[in-house]
Amino acid sequence: MSYLVCVLLFGLMVGSVGVASNPSPYFAAMGLVMVSGVGCGVLICFGGSFLPLVFFLIYLGGMMVVFAFSAALSAEPYPYGWGNRSVKMYVAAYVLGVGCAWKVLLGKWSGFWGGILDESGELLVLRGDMMGVAAMHDVGGWMLVLGGLGLLLTLFVVLELVRGVSRGGLRTV
Amino acid sequence: MNPYLLIVLLTSLGLGTALTLSSTHWLLAWLGLEVGTLAILPLMAQPHHPRATEAATKYFIVQATAAATLLFAAINNAWLQGHWDIQHMSHPLFTSMITLALLLKLGLAPMHTWMPEVIQGVSLNTGLIVSTWQKIAPFILLLQIKQIHPPLLTIIGLASILIGGWGGLNQTQLRKILAYSSIAHLGWMVLILQHSTALATFALLIYIFMTSATFITLKKCKATTINMLTTTWTKAPTITLVAPLMLLSLGGLPPLSGFAPKWFILQELTQQNFIPHASIAALAALLSLYYYLRLSYSITLSLSPNNLPECLQWRVNYPISTPLSSALPAALALTLFLLPLTPSALTLII
Amino acid sequence: MLKILIPTLLLIPTSWLAKAKWLWPTTLLHSFIITLFSLAWLKNTSETNWSTLNPYMATDPLSSPLLTLTCWLLPLMILASQNHLAQDPLVRQRIYITLLVTLQLSLIMAFAATELTMFYVMFETTLIPTLILITRWGNQMERLNAGTYFLFYTLASSLPLLITLLALQNKTGTLSLLIIQLLGPIPISPYVNIIWWTTSLLAFLVKMPLYGVHLWLPKAHVEAPIAGSMILAAVLLKLGGYGMMRMMLILSPLAKELCYPFIILALWGVLMTSSICLRQTDLKSLIAYSSVSHMGLVAAAILIQTPWGLTGALILMIAHGLTSSALFCLANTNYERTHSRTMILTRGSQMILPLMATWWLITCLANLALPPLPNLMGELIIISALLGWSWWTIIFTGAGALITATYSLYMYLMTQRGPVPNHMISMNPSHSREHLLLTLHLLPLLLLVFKPTTIWGSAY
Repeated sequence: MSYLVCVLLFGLMVGSVGVASNPSPYFAAMGLVMVSGVGCGVLICFGGSFLPLVFFLIYLGGMMVVFAFSAALSAEPYPYGWGNRSVKMYVAAYVLGVGCAWKVLLGKWSGFWGGILDESGELLVLRGDMMGVAAMHDVGGWMLVLGGLGLLLTLFVVLELVRGVSRGGLRTV
Repeated sequence: MNPYLLIVLLTSLGLGTALTLSSTHWLLAWLGLEVGTLAILPLMAQPHHPRATEAATKYFIVQATAAATLLFAAINNAWLQGHWDIQHMSHPLFTSMITLALLLKLGLAPMHTWMPEVIQGVSLNTGLIVSTWQKIAPFILLLQIKQIHPPLLTIIGLASILIGGWGGLNQTQLRKILAYSSIAHLGWMVLILQHSTALATFALLIYIFMTSATFITLKKCKATTINMLTTTWTKAPTITLVAPLMLLSLGGLPPLSGFAPKWFILQELTQQNFIPHASIAALAALLSLYYYLRLSYSITLSLSPNNLPECLQWRVNYPISTPLSSALPAALALTLFLLPLTPSALTLII
Repeated sequence: MLKILIPTLLLIPTSWLAKAKWLWPTTLLHSFIITLFSLAWLKNTSETNWSTLNPYMATDPLSSPLLTLTCWLLPLMILASQNHLAQDPLVRQRIYITLLVTLQLSLIMAFAATELTMFYVMFETTLIPTLILITRWGNQMERLNAGTYFLFYTLASSLPLLITLLALQNKTGTLSLLIIQLLGPIPISPYVNIIWWTTSLLAFLVKMPLYGVHLWLPKAHVEAPIAGSMILAAVLLKLGGYGMMRMMLILSPLAKELCYPFIILALWGVLMTSSICLRQTDLKSLIAYSSVSHMGLVAAAILIQTPWGLTGALILMIAHGLTSSALFCLANTNYERTHSRTMILTRGSQMILPLMATWWLITCLANLALPPLPNLMGELIIISALLGWSWWTIIFTGAGALITATYSLYMYLMTQRGPVPNHMISMNPSHSREHLLLTLHLLPLLLLVFKPTTIWGSAY
């Protein structure tokens, strides 16, 4: 199990470096897919299954479509991959940074490892994370409404910002 | 912009700050901050100019970074401490993280570089909102958390006063100058924050009055560079008369309201035996005074018989009367004449 | 106090509501009436020195001559400015008078304040009207530079004073002048002592100005319009001397050794600035440097802190206020006719304006401290007080008096005697307004000869 977690965490790192090393949006989007997918895997390994499922559906079902759309909108004729010189420098720098951090922090954050979300270890109908969701709907209902309002506002804002080729602020290249 | 959308955006702007102000829970505070940030983006990008889009993008990235840091710290704090209360933050790491995130949102010294760029890119009305209304929510959050590292805020406050003064010295663009002025003023507030929250609020209030008056005045004379100010006397003679006083009030010269917060902040600092800090802050305020003085030179003190560095515009549609400009007399009165009333103002606040 | 302050405040509506034709006469008359009432301050009947008390303001023999001088100067400024504002639009004339009135108001409140904090606030309040006066109504482009110098020299030195005052308030619990002189010495460490002493006096030494930090003054004088020069020389510099006398009361036990370098600098400044006067070509600049030299004497006299020194300083401040203001008025009459401050271009005016030459003579004699005039009284008392402090000072004060006489003679000869240049022949004759102006400067000076105790302060 812990080998799996290690591999997944390694994937998380690789995906993050892939995004942060500043390649063209196509490749960065791929890095993001990797990060979100692997991140969901990590969460499942720690025992929460409901939340990763929602994440996975929302990220890959909703967000990635938008990402792909945006990436296609700003398509470049000569995209930079990870092999290009400038990107390679970033990759090297980030890998070095991660290595150093690992070297420095090795063994110090071990306390963080033990937190498995579902302590009982038995197969139940109600898992911890699902109960959390229920509690959130129950106690924080108004907060959810406000969150929904915020998302609605985001929709308006995005529409206003990107609408039309000539009117909106953002345009195709 | 569509008026319906404008209403939605302005209401959300109000809603965001109100949410943050009324929350005791980090998640709701974060939500309010995000709503405020999102609502102002279309207003920023409204002029359909590359610079406006750039400003909106920069603003979004910076504010999103700050909000994400804040959320991260709040979640971690909740994990370790088991609560989401704003006022009971006690973990040093996450308190510092949240403080820094809020300071980034406010645009204080080491994290200030977005501020002049953003304000320069947007219109004067939006600039007014960004430099006054948008400061309220993060500032109130900053007031509520208990400070763990006292030197942090002192250093950042002094650095902001200095950099706000230095940065504005060689600017010719008014909005950039106002952005640096805002950095310097916020530096004063952050400096006093841990000693007296009431004084910090008082300083924020006076700052909002003064900055509103300045932005509305600039809007009214349609000026965005120092040279464009020199033809104000052809457009708005009364404003020409009052403008240097308003600017010197921003600089904090005695009989004007701008002196009141500085005076009380200095007094509080000396009372707490921070005399070196008080001296540095007072002398660093002279740097900002220099550019206010330069502005008043060009707006009023070198009038028509002198050579003007700007051509007169021969077809102008003055006077402009916008709903905003009707607030100008009130803002100006508050900017100029509040000093004799400060004892009662202070008792109201404290 | 209110019977002066409220009429002064009401000068503002007078200046805005008076008809165009009557604007200058009305404001002049109004301000003269205020002056007349202010003369009552000079009669001090109180045992404790403080009179006309109210919770915030009072007068004592130290402040009342300065207050009366301030009130005296306003009508004179209004008289002097009439000609150069004649071309301006009416609204600007009104604004100008309003500005002078605001300056007057803040000066009265500064001199009359019994709280050091209020004194400080009012001290700073005078900056804004003066700044606007210099930079808006000056003539050359360099006036902006002069305004910046003026503002930043004063503020950079007086902001530490504010912090010192606030700290003092914390230590003693009061800043009232009535109480603070009764407090004993304030216990602080010797290291803080030095900083404290310096910051308390630096603001006033810059305002005086002390030699070394005087650079703003010639610039401001040269670039300011006539009213600005008059009020600067006559009253604003005295604000520095007055503030020092007030602060010295509190600092007295500390100031023994610390003031040596400042006294030496002041005396050295007397020599240096009067030597600078000898080679000036610019008339207003010469008068400005002469002010710096006289103020050096005043600073030295205040710093040695003897009763004689304080008395001499006060007498010299009043006498110099009237004299230098008169000199600036004379320079302005030349300037308005020739549009030049260069002395070499305005020679021989005795042939053209003979009565003016009389005024020049009297004022120059007053400037070099001719016997019966209060100028001599002041200088003599200061010189003897300094002599009592140290024999060596006679070198500086003696040489200073000699050079003062020399440059006064130089100024008189350069402007009045010699051949008349051709470009001067078609000059306007002098107005009775100008004669009235100078009479009103010199008459009090002459009258003070008969009753000098009015300006001797409380220390005689």
